[in-house]
Amino acid sequence: MVQVAADHPVTASQARALLSDYVAILDDGPLADWPSFFTDPCLYRITTRENQERQFPLSIMLCDSRAMLYDRVEATEKANIFEPHTYRHVLSDSRIVAADGATLKLRTSFLCARTMVEGDFSLFVSGVYIDEVVQESGRCLFRSKTVVLDQSRIDTLIAIPL
Amino acid sequence: MSDVTDLASRIAWPAEGVARVPYVVYSDPGVHEWEQTHIFRGPAWHFLGLEAQLPEVGSYTLVDVGTTPVIVLRDEAGEVAAFVNRCAHKGTQLLFVPQGKVKQVMCVYHNWCYDLGGRLTSVAFEKGVQGKGGMSPDFRKDQHGLARLRVHRICGLIFGTFSDATPDFDSYVGAELVANIRRVCSRPMKILGQYSQLLHSNWKLYIENVQDPYHASILHAFNGVMKLDRLTMEGGVVKGTKGWHHMAYSKMSTDRGDEVYGKGPMRSAELSTYGHGLRDHSLSEFWDDFGDNVSLTVQTIFPTFVLQQLRNSLAIRLVVPKTPRTCQLHWIAFGYDDDDERKSALRLKQANYMGPAGLISMEDGMIGGLVQRGIEGDKEKSSVLELGGRGVEPIEGSRASEASVRGFWAGYRELMGV
Repeated sequence: MVQVAADHPVTASQARALLSDYVAILDDGPLADWPSFFTDPCLYRITTRENQERQFPLSIMLCDSRAMLYDRVEATEKANIFEPHTYRHVLSDSRIVAADGATLKLRTSFLCARTMVEGDFSLFVSGVYIDEVVQESGRCLFRSKTVVLDQSRIDTLIAIPL
Repeated sequence: MSDVTDLASRIAWPAEGVARVPYVVYSDPGVHEWEQTHIFRGPAWHFLGLEAQLPEVGSYTLVDVGTTPVIVLRDEAGEVAAFVNRCAHKGTQLLFVPQGKVKQVMCVYHNWCYDLGGRLTSVAFEKGVQGKGGMSPDFRKDQHGLARLRVHRICGLIFGTFSDATPDFDSYVGAELVANIRRVCSRPMKILGQYSQLLHSNWKLYIENVQDPYHASILHAFNGVMKLDRLTMEGGVVKGTKGWHHMAYSKMSTDRGDEVYGKGPMRSAELSTYGHGLRDHSLSEFWDDFGDNVSLTVQTIFPTFVLQQLRNSLAIRLVVPKTPRTCQLHWIAFGYDDDDERKSALRLKQANYMGPAGLISMEDGMIGGLVQRGIEGDKEKSSVLELGGRGVEPIEGSRASEASVRGFWAGYRELMGV
């Protein structure tokens, strides 16, 4: 665990609060608020552990601007067709891996359970969030969030961001 | 083991032929088993992997052909060989790490070793220990090599077959579809990544969906509203040999579809406010990869292979049966060795269209599950496939036809004998 200087613009507890608020939006909505957690430009991508380890750049979802994040929300809410479901994220403690300049970089393990409206429940995915957090206009935001799934085989689809 | 000798009468294919598909084929365990011998071990070509996955002598990858596990490797001569992943001794799966490199294939159970040509080269304690035990003198290692598949390589793609009766690849597939493989795969390929999906539906429901151009701009609302692929664009379907395989294509710059797609009851009519609202246009940025203005080609090779070109998002898909009601869909995304940074970045951005979260492909993963559940109570009934006629001939310049779906069933019926 890296020590964070007392005057670092982003504290560990602020980054942690950002993460808690982030998963609450995915679990309980509104999804329309999801893009507001990111800077502009930004990087949000979902990939797999296998692709990371083999240094393959392919993403399952990839957004590099707030506009792309909003487009993903619109696609999810208005265009894409899928059986209704909800998420429940559970986070581990976060590990600070770097605290340089204005950025706090942290790693947090997560589990995400998915419950289908008609009843089926599963431990859908697990993985690690690799986040870079910065301060902008008095708010903590993700400059980048990489979601590395342990699973290379996904059950059916991923409709809502993780 | 279920009795499949009366499969034809059990399935009782309707008199309308390929314009109907009896629902029993999507869930019957006897049918599932019969498919293993008649399709997956039968006279058909099956996708095994990419040359790019086998860079060095001894490189290997594992793949399933139906329910048979197969090793595909680069042998000493630099050729590609494929063997059943099973030890001749007691049937143990030999290699179980999905990709890697070996000097020989060694079974962890009793140390039987095979060279990269599949020949059995050593057997532990063959001569016994201190004069006792061992194999009898008439045991011949050359009678216990690995079961080998016939392999065909084309433009970096590797196919295999178990059957001596399988026609040569070009005859099996057909000249136009072979030409599209050359069109998309002739430049040295660079793998961008891979993943898979577990689908809660029979494998044939997935491949039928891919061979169907009818749904593309409807189920995938993103397509129609974003004007990525509409049936009103210039395009069509080309059939492969006997109609078993297909290629659907369209040219994006020729669309005249606002009149059809903007009117209810088309779902895209409701979404027209969203259609004006795409905030980021970098996803729309693309270039003409092949110099022919064809922005979409989706090609299948019966029974389980797909070659996708969605603008600049290129991928191979392989569907693998697991149980009668589940299958696994594998994706390998690729570009070319000579892609510059901008092209690589755009291909990766356009990969948002494909895969389990695909803006276009997402629905393909779940629609089979809806069909599987819808038909469960009425296995003696059939689907009705009559768009564009009742045979396997496509309509020139049109994708308002299910001929390519009927073509898949023509292949299925022939190999299954039903």
